[in-house]
Amino acid sequence: MLCLLTVDQSAKGQTAPALSANDKQIAETFEKRAKEYAKMREQLETQMPKLSKEAKAEEIEAHKKQFQERVRAARVGAKQGDVFTPEAASLIRAIIKDEFKGKERIEFRDTVLHEADTKAVPLCVNYPYPESQELLEMPATLLLRLPQLPKQVRYRFVGPNLLLVDRENGLIVDYMTKALP
Amino acid sequence: MKRITTSLILTVLVTLSIVNAQNSSHNSNGKSTTNAPVTLNLPNKADSVRFVVIGDTGTGTEQQLELAQVMLRYRQVFPFEFVLMMGDNMYGRENAVDYKQKFENIYRPLLDQKVKFYAALGNHDDSNQRFYEFFNMEGQEYYHFKKGNVSFYSLNSNYMDKKQVDWLNEKLAADTATWKIAYFHHPPYSSGGTHGSDTKLREIVEPIFVKYGVSVVFTGHEHFYERIKPQKGIYYFISGSGGQLRKGDVKQNSPLNDKAYDRDLSFMLLEINDKQMHFQVISRTGETVDAGVISNPRKNGTT
Repeated sequence: MLCLLTVDQSAKGQTAPALSANDKQIAETFEKRAKEYAKMREQLETQMPKLSKEAKAEEIEAHKKQFQERVRAARVGAKQGDVFTPEAASLIRAIIKDEFKGKERIEFRDTVLHEADTKAVPLCVNYPYPESQELLEMPATLLLRLPQLPKQVRYRFVGPNLLLVDRENGLIVDYMTKALP
Repeated sequence: MKRITTSLILTVLVTLSIVNAQNSSHNSNGKSTTNAPVTLNLPNKADSVRFVVIGDTGTGTEQQLELAQVMLRYRQVFPFEFVLMMGDNMYGRENAVDYKQKFENIYRPLLDQKVKFYAALGNHDDSNQRFYEFFNMEGQEYYHFKKGNVSFYSLNSNYMDKKQVDWLNEKLAADTATWKIAYFHHPPYSSGGTHGSDTKLREIVEPIFVKYGVSVVFTGHEHFYERIKPQKGIYYFISGSGGQLRKGDVKQNSPLNDKAYDRDLSFMLLEINDKQMHFQVISRTGETVDAGVISNPRKNGTT
């Protein structure tokens, strides 16, 4: 679990709990699994026509659909927990709990559970995150404390759950439940 | 940290030009959006950096179109070069047809006049918008560009991770521009009843802005216009009613609020020369709802 030692967190200039050696190991393993996913999908994307930085709307739509199809086919056996191991999920729950306390916790829960327009997001690995649904802002202070993800993968809160979502093809890479304190 | 002194021109309106509309139409409230005179309160100098700020636009509604028509009419007398978009550029689906209905068809006359749009991403925007030809994001979720003596930082407040924080620190540390302006979706300060101030984001970005002399911040997310009282020497503006409106959402007793407008859609006109930034906020019916000038913090030399 989260060690209560405190160290300076340079980006915030404030103190935040540091990870124990065991927690660091868990975080590194989680980060490694996320990187393995990123590497796999990068290899698939390089086989596709590169999307221009000045792409037409039709090209963006076609690229995303094609990318989704390729990754879904490559991960047909993917299941919940492939990246979020039970140990990683426990560590992340502890970090979130430590980040939101008192009034902040109540407000954050209210935002995620009641205000966010994410109710139609399926809790299914390898399924697309619907474009019609909001991508709830990840709290900046929390992002600096969570295990670091490769640029292709994003944390997203949906209800009480925390998802990993591919930022280009929009597929749900993995999810963990009961993320909210 | 340099302090900014202000001299807000809120009561003296200098009409520099009045243009008669060639085509008239009426909005759903019965008020003409094209016949109202264009009343410009800006110096309108040829060597200034002239631009527009809009946010939360992507609805594809008649109201969004009407506001775009007012923007177009103002461009006839105030030839702004580009538009900053505060995010939520596309609500709902983002198929090719949506890009057209919620953006291209709305702003086509401006696009035809070579006006460039520089977008930031909101919580309703797919990351792939960064590749879109008309958003000029160079394939990046956060990016920097310069216009004259003004440095613009478009940030992704939806996902302010360590990579972005490091990038922002490095870019600002090396930036010698006279004006440094940041824009993004979520407001660090807000008098909104629905959302309010994003304190978690503020905790991260404000120390960086203060350290490196960012003097103006534009945001959206709240569906109204608000000018926040200067905070730590920084001017924060919310311009989030380019297509969505949350009527009456501004808390009337908010200590943050200097000026707000939550009765109709609006956009901001801006003009920066070496010494000053002038601004004018215009509603869908052509009414000027706020105007003023901010002195250049660097030229003032105060901290």
